[in-house]
Amino acid sequence: MTPVHLAALAAPQLLLAGASLVLLVVGAFRPKAIRLVAGLGVLSLLAAVGVVAIEPLGRAFGGDLVADQGAAFAEAVIYLASAAAILLGQPWFARRGQARFEFPILILIAALGMGMMCRAADLISLFVAIELQSLSLYILAAFEKSDGKSAEAGLKYFVLGALSTGIMLYGVSLIYGFAGGTSFARIAAAVAHGASGGVLFGLVFLICGLAFKVSAAPFHMWTPDVYEGAPTPVVGFFAGAPKLAAMVLLARVLTESFGPALAQWRQILVVMAILSVAVGALAGLRQSNLKRLWAYSSIASIGYALIGLAAGGPEGVQAMLVYMTLYVVDVTGFFACLAALAREGRPLESFADVSGLVRQRPGLAVAMTVFALSGLGLPPFSGLWGKFYVFKAAISAGLAPAAVAALIGSVVAAYYYLRLVKVMWLDAPEGQIDAPPAEAAGLAYAAAFFVFPVVLIALMALDPAARAAALALVQG
Amino acid sequence: MTIGLDHYLAVAAILFTIGVFGIFVNRRNVIVILMSIELILLAVNINLVAFSTFLHDVVGQIFALFVLTVAAAEAAVGLAILVTFFRWRGDIAVDDASMMKG
Amino acid sequence: MPLQAIAFYVLAAVTVFAAVAVVFARNPVHSVLFLITTFFSAAGLFVLMGAEFLAMMLVVVYVGAVAVLFLFVVMMLDVDFASLRQGFARYLPLGALVAAVLTVEMVIVAADVAHLGAAASSTGPATPSAVMTNVEAIGAVLYTDYVYVFQAAGLVLLVAMIGAIVLTLKHRPGVKRQSVAAQMARTPKAGVRMVTINSGEGVDA
Repeated sequence: MTPVHLAALAAPQLLLAGASLVLLVVGAFRPKAIRLVAGLGVLSLLAAVGVVAIEPLGRAFGGDLVADQGAAFAEAVIYLASAAAILLGQPWFARRGQARFEFPILILIAALGMGMMCRAADLISLFVAIELQSLSLYILAAFEKSDGKSAEAGLKYFVLGALSTGIMLYGVSLIYGFAGGTSFARIAAAVAHGASGGVLFGLVFLICGLAFKVSAAPFHMWTPDVYEGAPTPVVGFFAGAPKLAAMVLLARVLTESFGPALAQWRQILVVMAILSVAVGALAGLRQSNLKRLWAYSSIASIGYALIGLAAGGPEGVQAMLVYMTLYVVDVTGFFACLAALAREGRPLESFADVSGLVRQRPGLAVAMTVFALSGLGLPPFSGLWGKFYVFKAAISAGLAPAAVAALIGSVVAAYYYLRLVKVMWLDAPEGQIDAPPAEAAGLAYAAAFFVFPVVLIALMALDPAARAAALALVQG
Repeated sequence: MTIGLDHYLAVAAILFTIGVFGIFVNRRNVIVILMSIELILLAVNINLVAFSTFLHDVVGQIFALFVLTVAAAEAAVGLAILVTFFRWRGDIAVDDASMMKG
Repeated sequence: MPLQAIAFYVLAAVTVFAAVAVVFARNPVHSVLFLITTFFSAAGLFVLMGAEFLAMMLVVVYVGAVAVLFLFVVMMLDVDFASLRQGFARYLPLGALVAAVLTVEMVIVAADVAHLGAAASSTGPATPSAVMTNVEAIGAVLYTDYVYVFQAAGLVLLVAMIGAIVLTLKHRPGVKRQSVAAQMARTPKAGVRMVTINSGEGVDA
């Protein structure tokens, strides 16, 4: 393979790496040009989406790099979500007098790491990609200097994240020892003759490490604290895109290299999924802080996505991809609302803060209602369609009991979603709310508009795209 | 008495458990927690190198090289976050965090 | 017992005991020093396995950089470490029990992988080859087959650098700094003023 061909296969990664290096130099020599750096960062992410759409497909470096429809689909969503994070975050930090040019660059590098995660079909590139992404996110969580909570969130996230990486790596080393190689194809060949207890133990460690990254129960302990402490636009970012990347990676590992051991890993995923839905629904009931509440909501959402993945096959993976894509829009929109709302410069974070919101900021109140009802899974909003795909896949794979358990979870969780709606629409307002900044409100409206009604049209394109992506992921 | 793969893997397994144990008993001291994580990564490296040489396959050593690199980067980031946290709190205990309920 | 076995048991014992001491030391400075001991003896194990390059890297990167970084931070933070040991004794019995069970399990699992996996037919550790040294073997693939990951690892280090700077750099107002560029750009025109002084009037600045 010629260098040109190799470069074409890694085109989005090269583009993002080059852009982040150039912007770093621009930022270092023109520290005042933060808006320029942020703008160029957004443009390079959008350019990466374009490159993903037209670049050639293929494999290189013995599976370190796989360009297929599965990666392309997820990468397009991830880069768009990252662009939204820069658009939302840069003015947010600027309003607090903390605008720094490193913010867009760290988002770019995190997006690059997530893209590599989607493209990894080898244990080595899997590990390096995850770390590239995680290290950027640890720094972003601790990014707000005027707030001790942000540093604490960063520290908790870092300690638990590094521990989960260590555990995952130990499992990976066992898998390497068993298979005698690191590429997923090599592992599949070794596992095809029968997986020993030891290699399954390694697989469990690997799943645990990835479950931490997507905050699936019982590895969710960090989520509420980190979401509460980290800066709001950053939370909106790492509640969405990184989870999609980790789910795609999990789908690739499980179907491509551990396909023959389906029966074993399916049990683990189902247990984690049901636990996640239960924890998300029950612990969410006790929350008064909206960021903590949405942390539990996201844990429950990952539970549904895991049910899709546990169903296996193209149908299950397709359900996971559709669900996660709609979830990313939903969660980005919700945190855009939170970033838009403040009272005398102090962000609104609790149920009491948003009471009677509809009388002061009707637009944002409607948007937040849309996101809450979508999270609940009420028709006709996007959340329903995601769940529809998941349940369909689960039932055809014989996982009906898990689907029923998840459904019960949603009924319990309905309480807190409806409580948020009730507080915003029926309670009395207290104090004047600041005029929302244009970019945050704009993003929130755009996301709400997507959740309903655009989703009905978008699904027509999303369905075949996700199907092609799932086929590529499953068949390897 | 020859030293086989098992022997090296056993050392790695013991180191791994010491690391996990260190995190469990030193919950409040973040610096020792970071060192325990380094022990876990060392266990991983011993595993990788042992498999690599006994398989006569250099890939394991390449992997260990990347683990080393990333672990160094991780230590730098972790300590930087710890320093910012210390500047705010004047303390490095995470467990009794009063600002957020764990 | 052949020399190799003796070396293995000595190095393994030192590694494990130093690792235990890292966790149990009362003073974090001692913990760091024990961590260095652990890395040194682990590097010895690497040499025994024939991975000389990684052994060298372990000493250079870990002992030279990471451990020193830890030492810096321990010295820099003025913390009452005794108070951080609260709860240590409380968690100890349960922790020790869990650790003992876990160790046995992990050793069994590792043995299972070694005997049922690809390494089952292994004849022993790689012996020094006449064709290619360990460093050559690593270099031959690192910059070819793994160049993609190699570059990504470079980015990981870049992120660590950006992170360390962005999180800890403080611009204190009112601190006078040397600006070499401004000094070099200064011309006689800007720095020297010619005055004509009439005799007997003195200098009036």
